[in-house]
Amino acid sequence: MANKITINPVTRLEGHGKIDIFLNDNGDVADAYFQVTELRGFERFCIGRPAEEMPRIVPNICGVCPTPHNMASTKALDYIYGVAPTPTAKLVRKLQYNANFIEDHYIHFFFLAGPDFVVGPDADPAERNILGVINKVGLDIGKKVIEVRKKTREIIKLIASKPAHPEGGLPGGVPRGITEEERKTIRRTADLSVEFAQFAMQLFKDTVLKNKSYLDLVLSDAYNLKTSYMALVDDTKKVNFYEGKLRVIDPSGNETAFFHPNDYVDYIGEWVEPWTYIRLTHLKKLGWKGLVEGADTSLYRVGPLARYNVCDGMATPLAQKEYEQMVETLGKPSHHTLAYHWMRLIEALQAAEDLQIIADDPLLTSKNIRNMNFQFTGKGVGCVEACRGVLIHDYETDDNGLIKKVNLIVATQHNAAPIGLSVKKAAQAFIKGGEVKEGMLNMAEMAFRAYDPCLGCATHTLPGKMPLVVDIRDPEGNIIKTISR
Amino acid sequence: MKKKTLIIGLGNTILSDDGAGILTAQEVEKQCRGLPDIDIVEASLGGIGLLDLMAGYKKVIIVDSIKTAEGQPGKIYRIGMEDLGNITYPCGPHFLDVRTAVELGNKFGYEMPDNIEIYAVEIKDNTTFSETLTPEVEKAIPVLVKQIIADQELMK
Repeated sequence: MANKITINPVTRLEGHGKIDIFLNDNGDVADAYFQVTELRGFERFCIGRPAEEMPRIVPNICGVCPTPHNMASTKALDYIYGVAPTPTAKLVRKLQYNANFIEDHYIHFFFLAGPDFVVGPDADPAERNILGVINKVGLDIGKKVIEVRKKTREIIKLIASKPAHPEGGLPGGVPRGITEEERKTIRRTADLSVEFAQFAMQLFKDTVLKNKSYLDLVLSDAYNLKTSYMALVDDTKKVNFYEGKLRVIDPSGNETAFFHPNDYVDYIGEWVEPWTYIRLTHLKKLGWKGLVEGADTSLYRVGPLARYNVCDGMATPLAQKEYEQMVETLGKPSHHTLAYHWMRLIEALQAAEDLQIIADDPLLTSKNIRNMNFQFTGKGVGCVEACRGVLIHDYETDDNGLIKKVNLIVATQHNAAPIGLSVKKAAQAFIKGGEVKEGMLNMAEMAFRAYDPCLGCATHTLPGKMPLVVDIRDPEGNIIKTISR
Repeated sequence: MKKKTLIIGLGNTILSDDGAGILTAQEVEKQCRGLPDIDIVEASLGGIGLLDLMAGYKKVIIVDSIKTAEGQPGKIYRIGMEDLGNITYPCGPHFLDVRTAVELGNKFGYEMPDNIEIYAVEIKDNTTFSETLTPEVEKAIPVLVKQIIADQELMK
């Protein structure tokens, strides 16, 4: 029987998110599984509610991705009501969506990745936090992060009333338009965001790419996982967060599928394993092949690294330049899990540039913000790129527009099996012969932190200490040692 | 200038008992409506979002739910900042602890509260989508409301 190590990063909500690492009889890593708490009864909760309530309900599913849920839901409503948003409405939606990408990506980079890369993976855990990052980069930069976040959230608030849990979302349009005065404010926020994006890129290059030991870590086999990838791209196969077709490439980089999100059931399979409630997604046409990487895998990844591998380029000039440097350094496809962080910063730059483009668009302030020419269909699939990857909302209603069926596929679901594999590889490199040290565990944690997995489905946590607890168990499952910080 | 008290009801009202903190804050608001120098807000967030909310207030009272290993649903806890432990690596950017949020705010020059208190009610179910509380937690809400009003001398 295998030994078992449990990394449980959240103490308040038991089992909220955890990684089980199983050791073999020699004390080496045999397997690793990523799990999140099962939230029950969402479909039952929704059934019988008017479809138009969904964009207001779904942001409460998750405190981490409220805007993507809101947007996927709104796009599903477009299909249910058989109506396309007006050009101005689409611009306003994209404004909201790009603002979300900027604030979310920077909070991730500075708060979650920053402690590992800016402070250092081996640093004292007491220093390896956002305060340690600020001590390194300086208080002014810390203030800038907060300012960019505040101003981009003001854009979300302007359009959807609340940034944490957007309330806007109408089929065929948006609840309000943009005035000329607001356009000026948005343009200033866009300029600030582009300027900050360039700073953040430089910080990444200086602290990671110019640091040989960090770069070696990024390029090491411990953080390399060969899977397929899936992401939304536009007609020219450039990165698009809001709309497009889903493109899939295999581990060698060959395109294996290119389809409209409405057809997702033909391409995405959902598999149930006894150790998790998550329906593990895989490429349906290949069938479920288990938790394996390489040429024979049917697993794919989503999120920033997937968007990098799947696209033919970025949609804006400065981001494209940065993308080209990343391609020059890592090649394509890149299977380096820690490269998720690099692409995250390039995407924040694209989102900021796109804010500038939208702010300058004459159509932005048009009053034509709603298309009410409804052709009710009763069925709708809404698909967006959440910051963490492909997000799909699939609804069906009765003839009165009341929900009768709901299916959601979220980014962490696509990535759940690969996260387990990534942690297994990192743990194999850093945990040997049953020896488990704090620093080594952080290396294993870095593998799952790269994906920025959504553990926040309960939307908040009691704001207290959340120590890492590691239970080392003997073959009978008894705890023989507990390590915590 | 800092003078107001902020009461934050934390939770998610579509996840059964997870809404206990928000429902408590709503009831406190009903009973204390119109009192000067007290703001009451509902929030479904943690981490850095708390910094935004708390900045500028003299005192903050957080009302939340809690789940402990051996806890009895409905039990009420009063927790001070000193009980929250040291700053740790967050398990997510949205899980910044309240101490870090306060320290960050202070560093950035915001006026952060001098005093933060947390009330929490032990809950039973926070994983089922429902707008209904379990009976033990539902019974605890009026008790907690009364305790907060008395402890904090809100009706004085």
